[in-house]
Amino acid sequence: MWGRVVEIMTAVWLSISPFVFGVQSDPVQLWGDLGVALAICVFSGLSYWGPTRHAHWLVLLLAAGLVVWGRFAVTPPPPPHQNHIVVGLFLLMMAVIPNEASQPPRAWRQLPT
Amino acid sequence: MSDKAAPVDELNRNVPPYRHNPSGWGQRIPICLLAFIAAVISVHLSLYQWGFIENAYDPLFDDGSNRVLKSDTALRMYGILGIHDAALGVLAYLGDAILGLAGSTRRWQYRPWLVLLFGIDVIPLGMVSLVLVVFQAFVVGSWCFLCLVTAAISLILIYWAWDEVRVSLAYLLIVWKEHHNTRLLWDAFCGLRDDRLDAAGEKLLSREAP
Repeated sequence: MWGRVVEIMTAVWLSISPFVFGVQSDPVQLWGDLGVALAICVFSGLSYWGPTRHAHWLVLLLAAGLVVWGRFAVTPPPPPHQNHIVVGLFLLMMAVIPNEASQPPRAWRQLPT
Repeated sequence: MSDKAAPVDELNRNVPPYRHNPSGWGQRIPICLLAFIAAVISVHLSLYQWGFIENAYDPLFDDGSNRVLKSDTALRMYGILGIHDAALGVLAYLGDAILGLAGSTRRWQYRPWLVLLFGIDVIPLGMVSLVLVVFQAFVVGSWCFLCLVTAAISLILIYWAWDEVRVSLAYLLIVWKEHHNTRLLWDAFCGLRDDRLDAAGEKLLSREAP
């Protein structure tokens, strides 16, 4: 589940980044980042539970949204928005990592008859 | 299928025409380590482009790296991408490492989509980075030492990654040639299981190594 762990760590970075970049007084930046970070944690967390184990794929949508927000909200993007682009692109890669990444998929864990 | 778990040896079989398993950890870990080193180098170049450090390290071309990294071409790419090209390089090399780490030692058959995604990140993107570096000399008129180092790393990564991409494509080709079934090919690509896919994997494994 290391993919999910890295996603949650990235979400923590995203949640503190408005304070790091000094834009915490902007409610759109602050609540936008906190909301997306919370949603990433929820989807990654749900991936630990069998019935919702594919929830991490939804992180792809959030990641794409972050890239679009970062790239087009302000042109050229200031540092907080560049952070959105970088975090979004990184999460696009992480979200495709399977839950039990070093194991074969469940169906392939059994020997053929 | 029996309910007995597949043994490790079964996952780690050599795949002809190679005398090794292209998805084995011994093949993939060096790729990940080298990609990670390239990512660290790209972080250094990004720090310069962002203005956090005064100079990029360059033992050969004096001010060449600084000129390349702050050239009009680099600034034009920054205008298009919204982030510096070196930062994009960090993400691309990190992607090589991350996608290289994911998957079992038989992912060439069990997760071809992951191998092909890894191949796309390493091979075409690596070639683009190579072309861009060569482009520097003609457009900017300067060389960047660390950019050349990362370009050399890209070349090595392409060479190292090719065998795994090749066997994954060979597996998909066997599935297609034997069944001409788009749905089955898609299932094979997605890593779903079917007796026909088991047989296709075995057929590839039973080929004679030269």
